[in-house]
Amino acid sequence: MADAGCVAVWGARLPGVILLSNFQISATLAEPERFSGLEMGLLVACVMAAGGLFFWRFAPILNRILHSKKDADFSLRPVGRRVWEFVWEVLCQAKVIRQRPLPGVAHAFVFWGFLAFALVSLNHFATGVELGFLTPDGVVGRFYFVFAGVWALLVAVSIAGLFVRRFFVRPVWLGEKVSYESGLIALLIFALMVTYLAAFFVEPGGVAVKALWWTHTLALLVFLPLIPHTKHLHLVLSPLTVFLKRDGFSKIPPLSGDEDFGLVAGKDITQLISLQAYSCVECGRCTEHCPASTTGKVLNPKEIILGMRSYLNEFGPASEMALLSEARVESPDNPPNRYMSMEAAFECTTCGSCEYQCPVGIQHLPIIVGLRRGATNTGAWEDTYGTKLFLALEKNGNALGLSAMERDKFVTKQGLPIFDGSQEYCLWLGCMGGYDPKGREIIADFARVMSYLGTTFGVLKKEKCTGDPARRLGNDLVFQTMAEYGLKALEAAKVQKIVAICPHCVRTISNDWREYGIAPEIEHHSEFMARYKDRLPKQVAAAGESIVYHDPCYLGRYRDVYEEPREIVALAGTLVEAERSHERSFCCGAGGGLAFLGEESGERVSHVRAKELMETGAQTIGTACPFCNTMFRDAVSAVGGGQVQPQLLDIAQLTARALPDVKG
Amino acid sequence: MKILVAVKQVPERDAQIRVAADGKWIDEGDLSYTINEPDAYALEEALQLKEKNGGEVVVVCAGPERVVSTLREALAKGADRAIHLEADDLGERDTLGIARMLADAVKGEAPDLILTGLQSEDLGLGQTGVVMAELLGIPHATIIMQVEVVDGGVKVKRELEDGWFQHVEMPLPALLTIQSGGNRLRYATLMGIKKAKTKETATVLAGAAVARAVSLERVYLPEKQKKTEMLTGTSAEVAAKLVEKLKFEVRVL
Repeated sequence: MADAGCVAVWGARLPGVILLSNFQISATLAEPERFSGLEMGLLVACVMAAGGLFFWRFAPILNRILHSKKDADFSLRPVGRRVWEFVWEVLCQAKVIRQRPLPGVAHAFVFWGFLAFALVSLNHFATGVELGFLTPDGVVGRFYFVFAGVWALLVAVSIAGLFVRRFFVRPVWLGEKVSYESGLIALLIFALMVTYLAAFFVEPGGVAVKALWWTHTLALLVFLPLIPHTKHLHLVLSPLTVFLKRDGFSKIPPLSGDEDFGLVAGKDITQLISLQAYSCVECGRCTEHCPASTTGKVLNPKEIILGMRSYLNEFGPASEMALLSEARVESPDNPPNRYMSMEAAFECTTCGSCEYQCPVGIQHLPIIVGLRRGATNTGAWEDTYGTKLFLALEKNGNALGLSAMERDKFVTKQGLPIFDGSQEYCLWLGCMGGYDPKGREIIADFARVMSYLGTTFGVLKKEKCTGDPARRLGNDLVFQTMAEYGLKALEAAKVQKIVAICPHCVRTISNDWREYGIAPEIEHHSEFMARYKDRLPKQVAAAGESIVYHDPCYLGRYRDVYEEPREIVALAGTLVEAERSHERSFCCGAGGGLAFLGEESGERVSHVRAKELMETGAQTIGTACPFCNTMFRDAVSAVGGGQVQPQLLDIAQLTARALPDVKG
Repeated sequence: MKILVAVKQVPERDAQIRVAADGKWIDEGDLSYTINEPDAYALEEALQLKEKNGGEVVVVCAGPERVVSTLREALAKGADRAIHLEADDLGERDTLGIARMLADAVKGEAPDLILTGLQSEDLGLGQTGVVMAELLGIPHATIIMQVEVVDGGVKVKRELEDGWFQHVEMPLPALLTIQSGGNRLRYATLMGIKKAKTKETATVLAGAAVARAVSLERVYLPEKQKKTEMLTGTSAEVAAKLVEKLKFEVRVL
């Protein structure tokens, strides 16, 4: 209300200010009063033509979306959260602004301007058939026209700015190809605003008024049929997409029925995926933050979404044609599908930056993981390392392919108690904690922290991988086996609470396992330690030590845990932030099962991140995920050259080093 | 080409083996079982031959009800049919008995090629395939790394000692025992498992065990022992004694 008041005051002053110039100005908008029968006929014909063209182009798209497979797991609940996200992300444009402030604000002005203009446009056409309901003479009309005028000014400036950005600044994320249609649409929007504003400056009843009115009308009517086949379709679809998107970050839907193996062909594309594919506004935020795209790999999340759209346009939602080019069976009646490649799909680290960044509600991960499921569940994906990983999980029950006896030996040697139901926590070791030398150090240190705090805990006698790498690589068979094994083992041991050092274990157990059963409550050791931070020693001697904290994807974006590990780091030294942190943190390169696959093409993701962390000049890199830790161990020495290299310590190690040495 | 693969189910490699109370066999109580690794390679070879030359892969496994899981896995990986040779008393039968059982069961199938693993991971005798071939009266070759179908027969690559290989051509039908590591194994897929449900598994009851040619006296875990012997004398004498022991007792020199 305060804003509206301001505008009204400003509006009232407007004529006074403008009278200083030589123009003859009315305080309000000039609108034509009379229209001839011919004009009215012409208007109706134009509106019908534009509307007809719009639907002629939009109907097939709508058809493809509606004829896609139903999302078996779709539910409108929780409605409250959906409404809130709609208000926050669509109406408030929060995500649009937050992640790219300047163009974001410009976009928000255009969007809000459009909303303000809805009434004006309706009245505009109504005037054309002499049914206008807002008149410059009425109080409401006078106020509203000025109110819309202020927005028109903001929209005109914003769209001009965005035009300059797209065509002259040319950010690489908008794509190599210049979109001339976007330019035309920007010009049309600019013309709409200018013709509206100009109507304040012309004498009522003149020819100029009519000319402006018709120019405005035609600009609007040309704009309309351009919407369906350009990225401006997001105007129509994205509010719906944001409202309807799957509940939960990176949510992999369960497979439905015996014929569902993931995204194999067009027939597997669901309505939500179709809707999302057609909503893409091609802003390239996903690409900008993608660890694969920015290190020279084939994968470009935007191209995956646009590939899905192109596929739907060419083959339709009932097609049997393989979605991934490599999975295609060569035959004369099988034209090449150039849209999405298996190579790209398997370069994703599932870091989730794309999905997090997307302003129009596209959920990239269910799509990319879905494509992987389609390839892996049918055996189309043939990869030496991938096969080795799956066989190791099948045979040994851990991703490292070591004998399960190695875990037993570690548990015995470390003197870790076996969970017998009397302890408070089950300490989940995970593959890294049970088999990897560095992971074992983290477990040993975290066990010391728990003992120091007097928390009782035990480890499972037998534990297998949570199935995380199989899940992300699309192997539902192995994932299901692992999940069911784990659920049974936890139930048999009567575990109530779990704590783990690996964010991947935490995510998979708490979230992905739900497809097969409900696991006991689980938390990450950062959350556990942060709760007891007042009882953990503050390291005064080390206060001068600068520690840069790296946000693991599966703890930050996936679990929304950012502050807890920082509180622990702050106990151990001075917290330093890397250039990209919190929800914009850059992946270490290990996620999505990629830690177990072969050499990556382009620059190594881990090197890029390690360099960034080292550029902070911090003496120590603090991690909260054993996979990040392993990735950086190699990367730090590779990019560090001969210089003094930072230490690499998990938050459990940062804490444990200050504990009194208790032996025996 | 019709290929028959004889597989065995063995305790998982990490399993904690306990000897049964009567000392004649292992306690099968809570062991988990898996496919014998060399047999997994035999199956892989069969599947690849089928992919290259067409035909049918039939997998056969003798044992109690639990071996069905191994057969299903083989079907999931691409075998066309399975035969479960039901017998709860494998421990009572010797190699000849088991080879005879298998030979009787596959005779009716008249396969062009029989593949099986070089040896089993539990007993490691390496005899079953060879004896089976003798009982069926067909030629066999052992320790096979590669199989190639040529006119009227197969060309195989055998692994010899010291990195030597032998290439042999042989007529069909024939039996080959496959060495581990010759191929890359494939992973089981969800689609394979689902398809396997529609594939046929025939159950054939094994005949009663006959008198054994070889009897099993006792099953026991390898005994670990540490012995320390102090060598005394002058340095030269100690060195001489040490060399002698390394040469004739430990036999490493």
